[in-house]
Amino acid sequence: MPRRATLPVIAWLCLVCAAAAQSLSFPALTGRVVDEAGLLDAAARATLTQSLAELEQKTTDQLVVVTLKSLQGTSIEDYGYQLGRRWQIGQKDKGNGVLLIVAPNERKVRIEVGYGLEGTLTDAVSRLIIENSMLPRFKVGDYAGGIKRGVEDIIQVLSGDAQEWQNRAAQGVSPDSVQPAPAGAVWLAIIAILVGVGFLIFCVVWGGAICRAILQFLFLMLLSGGRSSSRDYSSDSGSFRGGGGSFGGGGASGSW
Amino acid sequence: MSSRYADRSGFARVVILVPFLGLLLSGCGINNIPTDEEQAKAKWSDVQNQYQRRADLIPNLVETVKGYAQQERSVLEAVTNARARATSVQVNADTITDPEAFKKFEDAQAQLSGALGRLLAVSESYPDLKSNQNFLALQSQLEGTENRIAVARRDYIEAVRVYNTELRTFPGVIWASTLYKSNKPMQEFTVAEDVKQPPQVKF
Repeated sequence: MPRRATLPVIAWLCLVCAAAAQSLSFPALTGRVVDEAGLLDAAARATLTQSLAELEQKTTDQLVVVTLKSLQGTSIEDYGYQLGRRWQIGQKDKGNGVLLIVAPNERKVRIEVGYGLEGTLTDAVSRLIIENSMLPRFKVGDYAGGIKRGVEDIIQVLSGDAQEWQNRAAQGVSPDSVQPAPAGAVWLAIIAILVGVGFLIFCVVWGGAICRAILQFLFLMLLSGGRSSSRDYSSDSGSFRGGGGSFGGGGASGSW
Repeated sequence: MSSRYADRSGFARVVILVPFLGLLLSGCGINNIPTDEEQAKAKWSDVQNQYQRRADLIPNLVETVKGYAQQERSVLEAVTNARARATSVQVNADTITDPEAFKKFEDAQAQLSGALGRLLAVSESYPDLKSNQNFLALQSQLEGTENRIAVARRDYIEAVRVYNTELRTFPGVIWASTLYKSNKPMQEFTVAEDVKQPPQVKF
């Protein structure tokens, strides 16, 4: 094999290995209700989606309902926070995402609460919602009813009473103040770009083995950097996307 | 013509290469070690935070259980003592590179986990206690905290893995052996399994 071909081959191998290393697989975020296990009919899905969208409009909180065919051998707590991080539910600066996860085959349910809502939708409150509103219905096989009641309760907690709700809305509405970039940083960036362009011209004019090597290196860096941005955010996710929120294991679980 | 060309190119090389060298250095990860170190330290304080949170919940829990199950004195005392021991062992962000101090911290927390597990198991046999609202709330908070501890530990382990790898692989190893000689690999958790899961109730 020609020597120059080895580097790209190695880089390609690395990418393949990195892609294969991810063990848990997650369903695509196709909307506010992701019914992988098929527990809900179309009407129930539409109603739920409607109320979840209203919640986000009012409070900016993102609540997503997901039913899973399988937990892939791990616990629902483990799966839950990783799914939340993967989907990035919740606004980035507030971390106000909530997942309601139902795994009927493992008979497990969990309310996974994002960092920003751990104080509102506490572990104890989540537990109460699961125990009182959801589990009794799940026990008799009424999944749609249990999920509906659970969502209603969560929305109620997140909306709070009118006064609190208004305060939160006031916080949420204030537009993110656009931070003016410090002048120094702008100049640095301009200089960096100028230097980069200068270097390119320099390379084109004088050539040389070192330049070629550096260009190759940069190209590989670009290749490996591009991988993360081209992740499988499937185009069928419609208008709904996670806002960049993160999860740290808050919430509660139950089983029936 | 060739000599003039050489002069010009020599000057141009210096002018262009000097600033570029700086960029290249940051491209080669001269900042990676401090960045990863700060990241791992932040994750560590997260772990400590969650353990502290657990410790804060315990006195309340012990009081609640006492009201219903005074005869379980030994179990209650074990929890109180383990808590006292766990809170007295502190490892701050600068000493996570010390294996002994780290082990001490880990052992103390593992002991507390064990004692707590026993307390929750014992409380299963007191129906009045089990239906007490306060106890239920504390129990779910404790479970949530154990879960947060598990997540924080895993995040910390991942951050440490990145940092330790940076110290030992190219190009980080160059900077580690020149600019950041004092940076040492950080410790990872070893007894993961028993603490990972929330205390299980066994009969």
